[in-house]
Amino acid sequence: MRERNPHLPNADLIRLADGECGPAESAQARAHLESCWKCRSRLQELESAIHDFMQAAPELPELPSPDPARAVFRARLSQLAAEAPPPRWNAFWRGVPALAAAAVAIATILITFGGTVNADGPKPRTSLTPGETRPVSLAEVCAVPEPDPEQDNETARQIPVEMQRQVFAAYGMDPAQAGAYEVDYLITPELGGAHTVRNLWPQPYSARWNARVKDRLEHRLHQLVCQGKVNLATAQHDIAKDWIGAYRKYVTPSSPR
Amino acid sequence: MAASLQSAAGFFVGSRPAEWSPLEEEVTALYDQHRGPLLRYLGSLRVSAADGEEIVQEVFLALFRHLRQNKSRANLRGWIFAVAHNLALKNRAARLRHAEVDAPGEYRDPGPDPEQLAAGNQRQARLLAVVRALPEQDRCCLSLRAEGFRYREIAQIVGISLGSVANALERSLSRLSRACPEGAERT
Repeated sequence: MRERNPHLPNADLIRLADGECGPAESAQARAHLESCWKCRSRLQELESAIHDFMQAAPELPELPSPDPARAVFRARLSQLAAEAPPPRWNAFWRGVPALAAAAVAIATILITFGGTVNADGPKPRTSLTPGETRPVSLAEVCAVPEPDPEQDNETARQIPVEMQRQVFAAYGMDPAQAGAYEVDYLITPELGGAHTVRNLWPQPYSARWNARVKDRLEHRLHQLVCQGKVNLATAQHDIAKDWIGAYRKYVTPSSPR
Repeated sequence: MAASLQSAAGFFVGSRPAEWSPLEEEVTALYDQHRGPLLRYLGSLRVSAADGEEIVQEVFLALFRHLRQNKSRANLRGWIFAVAHNLALKNRAARLRHAEVDAPGEYRDPGPDPEQLAAGNQRQARLLAVVRALPEQDRCCLSLRAEGFRYREIAQIVGISLGSVANALERSLSRLSRACPEGAERT
C-alpha cells in the first residue's frame, strides 16, 4: 500500500495546489490526499504559510506616491516617442538628410585626415579602445552637473599613472613620446563611460581634433541626453564608434579651427 | 534620486506633444497597472525605492521600444518582469562596484520594523524576517508566485529551470510554515 501510494513530499503538495501537476500525477496525488490525513494536514500548513505570506507581503515596501513618478514617466515616454525609431533620426534632425550628412562627414574626414588618421592619429584604435560603459541610469547621468567645456576639468578625472602606462603600452608607444599625449576616456564618465583601460586612449595634444574639441562634444551630448533628445545608449555608441563623426553630427558639421 | 527625477521633469516641460499615440497610451496603461507589483518585486530583490522607481521607468521605455518595433506581444507581463529582474541585477552589480566610493549606506537591511514589533504583530514581523533571510532566488520565486505567475513564467523571468522553481517554492514555504506554525497565536 505504502509502496504504491507513498506520502507526498511538500514540493508535490505545493505543485498540486498550484495546479502545476499533469492530469495523471494530479489524480494520483488527490487520491492519496483523500486517504491520508497526514498529508492533508501538511498541505494545510503550507496553505496557511501562503496565507500568512500574502497577508504580510503587501507591506514589504511602502510604495511612494505614484503621481510625480508617473508625470516623469509620461514626459520621458513622449520624448522617446518623438525620437524616430533607430536608425532613423528624422524627429530630432528634421530637415537634415541624415544619410547624406553622414556621407559628407565621412568623406570630409577621409579627405582632411587621410594622412593622419593612423595609429597615432586623433581616433583610438577600435581593437584596443572599443569604449566601455558602466551600467548607469539616465537619472544618475543627469544628476551629475554637465561637464563644462570652458573649464579645465582634467584634474577632476585624473587617470591613475598605472592605467596610463597600460594604455601607452597597449598602443606600443615609447614612454618618451607620452608627453605629447593625454590619456583620455573615449566614452566620458559623464555619459556613463567605464573607468577601464579599454575605454582609454592616447589623444594627441597638438592635433586639430584635440581633447578640447572632444570636451565640447561631450558637453553637447550630455545636454542632448538629459533633455531627452538623444538616448543615452545612442550617445555612448556614437562617441565610441567615431567621435569626430559624432562631433560633426551633434556639434557642428564644420571642422574646429 | 527624487530630486533628480524632479529636475528631469523640468527638462521636459513645454515639449509635450498635443496628443498621445495609441502605443503611448497602451504603455502608460501597462505602467499604471504594473508599477506597484514591480516595485514590490524589486523590493524583494533589495532594490532601493528610488532605484526601483527608475528601473520601472526604464522597463516601460524599453517596452515602448519593443512594441514600436512590432516585436512579440506574447506574455507582456512576463516580459516586463523579466526585464525588471535583469535591470535590478545590473543595478545592484553597479552599486556593488561603486559601493566603497559612493553609496556605502544603500545596502543596510532594515530588519524587523520596530513599529511593527511595538504594534504587537510579532507573527507578521517574524514572518517578514524569515522572508528576508531566504536565499535571494527563493525569495524571487516566492514573490513572483505571489504575483500570480505560473512556474514556467517564473523560470523564464529568473532564468532557472522549472524544477528549481518548484524547489525554491518548497523551501520557502516549508521555512515559513516552520517559523510560524499554525498553532502559534495570531497578532
